Amino acid sequence: MNHAFLILKRWMALLACAGILSFAGSRIEAADEAAKTPAAETAATTAATPAAGDAGHAAANVPGHGHGGEAKHVSFAEQFGYSYLTAYMFCLSLCMGSLFLVIVHHLFDAGWSASIRRVTEQLSSLLFPWMLVLLIPILVLQKQIYPWLSLDPAQDHSLAVKVVLFNPTAFNLFLIALVGSWGAIAHSFRRWSLAQDKDGKVEWTRKSRVLAAAGIFYFAFSLTLGCFYLMKSLQHQFFSTMYGVYYFAGSVWTTLATVYVLIMVLSRPGMPLEKVVFKRQQQDVGVLFFAFTVFYAYIHFSQYFLIWNAAMPEETFWYVRREYGSWKWVGFTILFGHFFIPFLLMLNQDIKRKLFLMFPMAAWAWLMHYVDMTFNVMPVLHPEGLHVSILDPLLWFGMTGFLAVMFWRNFNSAAPYPLRDPRFAEAVTHHEIPAAGGAASHH
Amino acid sequence: MSAKPTKTYGLLAEFDTAAAIMHAAIECRDAGFKKWDVYTPFPIHGMDDAMGVKKSLVGWFTFAGGFTGFFTGMGMIWFMNKFDYPLVVGGKPLFTPLYAFPVSYELTILMGSFGTLIGMFLLNRLPKLYNPLFKNERFKRATDDRFFVCIEAADPKFSQARETLEKAGAQVIETVED
Repeated sequence: MNHAFLILKRWMALLACAGILSFAGSRIEAADEAAKTPAAETAATTAATPAAGDAGHAAANVPGHGHGGEAKHVSFAEQFGYSYLTAYMFCLSLCMGSLFLVIVHHLFDAGWSASIRRVTEQLSSLLFPWMLVLLIPILVLQKQIYPWLSLDPAQDHSLAVKVVLFNPTAFNLFLIALVGSWGAIAHSFRRWSLAQDKDGKVEWTRKSRVLAAAGIFYFAFSLTLGCFYLMKSLQHQFFSTMYGVYYFAGSVWTTLATVYVLIMVLSRPGMPLEKVVFKRQQQDVGVLFFAFTVFYAYIHFSQYFLIWNAAMPEETFWYVRREYGSWKWVGFTILFGHFFIPFLLMLNQDIKRKLFLMFPMAAWAWLMHYVDMTFNVMPVLHPEGLHVSILDPLLWFGMTGFLAVMFWRNFNSAAPYPLRDPRFAEAVTHHEIPAAGGAASHH
Repeated sequence: MSAKPTKTYGLLAEFDTAAAIMHAAIECRDAGFKKWDVYTPFPIHGMDDAMGVKKSLVGWFTFAGGFTGFFTGMGMIWFMNKFDYPLVVGGKPLFTPLYAFPVSYELTILMGSFGTLIGMFLLNRLPKLYNPLFKNERFKRATDDRFFVCIEAADPKFSQARETLEKAGAQVIETVED
């Protein structure tokens, strides 16, 4: 009875949150519609509507021509929507990145990561309900965010050929289904892991392994589709089969930075992971972090290089816009800040265990990933150059802060590590030899 | 046959378990020997730490190789396409790091691996065609079922070698002649 009441209470809280967000969204939308002068509306439509066919692509290729030339009126709802989307994509990265780490742990039947798996399980479990709830404002403001939703496929060739996926029904249904299904997968792993804490049965591990094997394929395809809808469709004319893996690479990179900091903080004396996180976990998470630095650069370079080399207007316009004005410098920031600096800094093996370098590095990774998301999202709204609104930090800190609180609540609601995982002993027994030097040999 | 005066190469101690050799290595490390080595039929996890072996310097050779490779690639393509024989291809600039990158990247890896290999040979002082230990009959079992420590006579603390090895519980201790 008590339990049922608790569940009911949670669902009501959830619905209330959804209701408030939805209401806030609709108010913003209404206020925005009212505030829009006819002139501003025309300007906005012109900027957001590339003409069909080659002529449209040619026009889209000239920055400042129909895009950034005259400063475009940006409404509050649009700015809110874009800032919100940027923050959302950032937070989704952390959830999907940790879901990937959980899947990979089971897929490889890994031993070393068993002791830190609960952290990633709890992080990825934020997908449901929170990432689904946080999706609502995007759905509410979809017309303000995605220009293609206001276009007629009959008038826009590039939309017409993609209309199977790019139509309002598919957009809404797929987004809800995708985030919901990710949440379901994340919660299955977490639920089975918690069940194993109680009975210690190996079946839970076996089940997780099966889900991981199927899940990795679903993960790859669904994350790509999710990125196409949420971010790539901002410029629906764009083509890039690498777009999904590009977002994925950045996501896992940021997640590993986050996991690194979390496990190092949570294993301080008196903290819950004190006795289960060793040099090995620290080194291995650090190595993966470093590896994904390279992987991200490899993927982003490949995307850019292929588009640059082929020089086809229907692809180049995406980067042309991102090389216009100050966006060019944002691009260089990503090149150096997302790759060269972290790469050279973490190249040396020992660096991965030096907290005074790795902690700032992790914070830097957060910033860089946010810059990367901005680079993907914002040039559509602000073609004239980088434009930071107060809403950007506000929504970013708001959303990450809220999710951090939710994570901490979840984390404290269960054991901090999988107590009876069959591979747990492997993670915590290790070949550690007394360190060189006289003092250590007295142990 | 050989009229050459023999000179002592070092002291060879034999152990019969991996645990014993690990313990012996820690003893030797803490006794402060410099010129000594451990010989085992298979790799033993943690032996590096037990011997107090510092991190290998091979990484620096790799880095130097990779660095050279990267700039060789960039330089080569700049020289060929922009300087020596300028040729417009596909309306692209004569030189940009962008299209030179894949080749430079491959050369980074190639030269990086050469650097690794050369560094490994140099630091291991390879190739080495002769080692006095090869003459020792017992030492043949180092590739089968015995574990050895050899402290070289050139070690400044060689006078304490026998005592340390005995303390470490060596089964047999032999002097190896050069």
